[in-house]
Amino acid sequence: METSVYTPQLAKIIQTKDEVVGPRAIKTFRTQFVNGGRLDFRCGQCAMLSVFGKGESMISISSSPLVKDYLQFSILRTGRVTAALHDMEAGDTIGIRGPYGNGFPIEEWRGKNLVFIGGGIGLAPLWSVVQTALLRKREFGALSLIYGARTSKDIVFKDELEELKDKMPVHLSIDVAEPDWKDFVGFVPTNVLDKKPSPTNTIAITCGPPIMIKFVIKNLKDLKFEDEQIYTTVENKMKCGIGKCGRCNIGFHYVCKDGPVYSWAELKKLPQEY
Amino acid sequence: MEKTLAKKSFPQWVKALDSWTVYVPRKDDEGRWDFVRADGQETALDISQTTLPPKKILFPQREVFLEFRKTQAGNLETTEIKEVLPEVHPTVVIGARPCEARAAWLLDKVFGGEFQDIYYWKRREPTTLVGLACTPPPSDNCFCPSVEGSPHSEEGLDVLLTDLGDRYYVKSMTAKGEALISAAPKLFSEPSAEDQKRVKAAHAESEKQIKRQVKDARGISEKLKGMFDSPFWDEEAMSCLRCGICTYLCPSCHCFDINDEIETSSPLRGQRVRTWDTCQFPDFTMHSSGHNPRPDKASRLRQRLLHKFQYFVQVYGQIMCVGCGRCITLCPVGIDIIKVLDKVRQDGD
Repeated sequence: METSVYTPQLAKIIQTKDEVVGPRAIKTFRTQFVNGGRLDFRCGQCAMLSVFGKGESMISISSSPLVKDYLQFSILRTGRVTAALHDMEAGDTIGIRGPYGNGFPIEEWRGKNLVFIGGGIGLAPLWSVVQTALLRKREFGALSLIYGARTSKDIVFKDELEELKDKMPVHLSIDVAEPDWKDFVGFVPTNVLDKKPSPTNTIAITCGPPIMIKFVIKNLKDLKFEDEQIYTTVENKMKCGIGKCGRCNIGFHYVCKDGPVYSWAELKKLPQEY
Repeated sequence: MEKTLAKKSFPQWVKALDSWTVYVPRKDDEGRWDFVRADGQETALDISQTTLPPKKILFPQREVFLEFRKTQAGNLETTEIKEVLPEVHPTVVIGARPCEARAAWLLDKVFGGEFQDIYYWKRREPTTLVGLACTPPPSDNCFCPSVEGSPHSEEGLDVLLTDLGDRYYVKSMTAKGEALISAAPKLFSEPSAEDQKRVKAAHAESEKQIKRQVKDARGISEKLKGMFDSPFWDEEAMSCLRCGICTYLCPSCHCFDINDEIETSSPLRGQRVRTWDTCQFPDFTMHSSGHNPRPDKASRLRQRLLHKFQYFVQVYGQIMCVGCGRCITLCPVGIDIIKVLDKVRQDGD
């Protein structure tokens, strides 16, 4: 049977978790396809999620491709579709199509140290790589994570981060001091300068708000990281996900298809249109 | 295959194409030309440039992608979706202009590739394009030779008709085109050597009648690569009303939106639809956070120009403008793509 590339597969939400509540709510969803199928994807790829009657939204897959029994998405409540998703619970049905985009070139990173640098919801796309690197630990060098959020309440994956501390150095930060906070206080880029990851045989992968990414890259450059050692992701408004609807381009690249992952060496050649 | 068709036989030919859905250009009561279904009233192709190009036949302004509904049985709620694919009867578009067929040839690249757009191809594949060579050019703003087309270009066409006064010179380039001739073979005659000479002369003359020109479009394409951050765009976009007409009426513009339309919300029932969209609207790129990477008219005019003359060239090797001049003729404030490109060529700031 002919099938349109725009037709999603139905999927059930099997589990939800409120990561952050309040005005910048973040919720994690685990989903399974109704027909029992699976999505073959790479770390850093995205999927177009449908809430029927509301529309579609492009969301990064935060679970590892090595985890086969569910797909995980962590979503900031921000627009029409994500608000509708936040109102959904286990048992509800959504649509999923994809995967889309290039993903992180993790096979090229084998044998290297990986330092993950995230801010806010930006930990979601990194999480897929973190989990994969842990499951394939022997193939990579030292792993570490630098992650921050505005306040301690805005930190995602709180329980998982506690567990992660046994497996790799985890350097957390919040923007403004709080009475019980024992880790770093300040912006993520400042924490990067404070922790001084070594550029030797290392890949830095950063994801977060554009302003954070900008200064993280600047600070990594100050720490002597080369452009080719720095990877980040870009996001733009998307509708088709396959390089046809014309809105997510930065220069001649469609972020949905040619991105969202770029090395700084690649991204700095493109216009600042994101 | 090359033939001639007497103009007085043209209506009979259209009638003989009863196995096809036939579109022809027609003037409406308000004087606007549009492609409409043939209804037996066709006399000859004495036509002007249509307001909307025949793009709408291959890529309609609104089309349904799928239907969705929720049903409730006790506590059990079920979501169903049904893909809606177009079922298109074999179609002929008679009187398409060579530039409009060239635009279809460009759209083929967009809707093809790694992700085939089945909605487009379900329409494109059964459609035969019968072009009419532009003798004379249908608009004062025609500039197709400047963008690698010509008033008698065959790119994307199945058949090219050339007006020879009392008859059409009929050149079929494809099997799809030949099928149209085979539908009424008795109406067609073998062309004489004199006919062939006159066609050549008409084509040569048609190029001379094109009034407007963009010099060195490929050179401009290269030059644009250095102009992303130029203040040039602010001035050029100053008068823009952001109506989007330049893109909606463009034969090669293909940007679209996908939205869910609800018929009833309880129980939920509705459709997911694709509609034309335009890079000239602020919402086109606005993130849900409120951040907009193309926040002003200048960045949006720049996007229209760069998409057509730089990005498409980088990705597909072709200029995504066919020189029909609609965006010039119909812009309510007189933004003239030829003048803008000429300024780029001359100094770029």
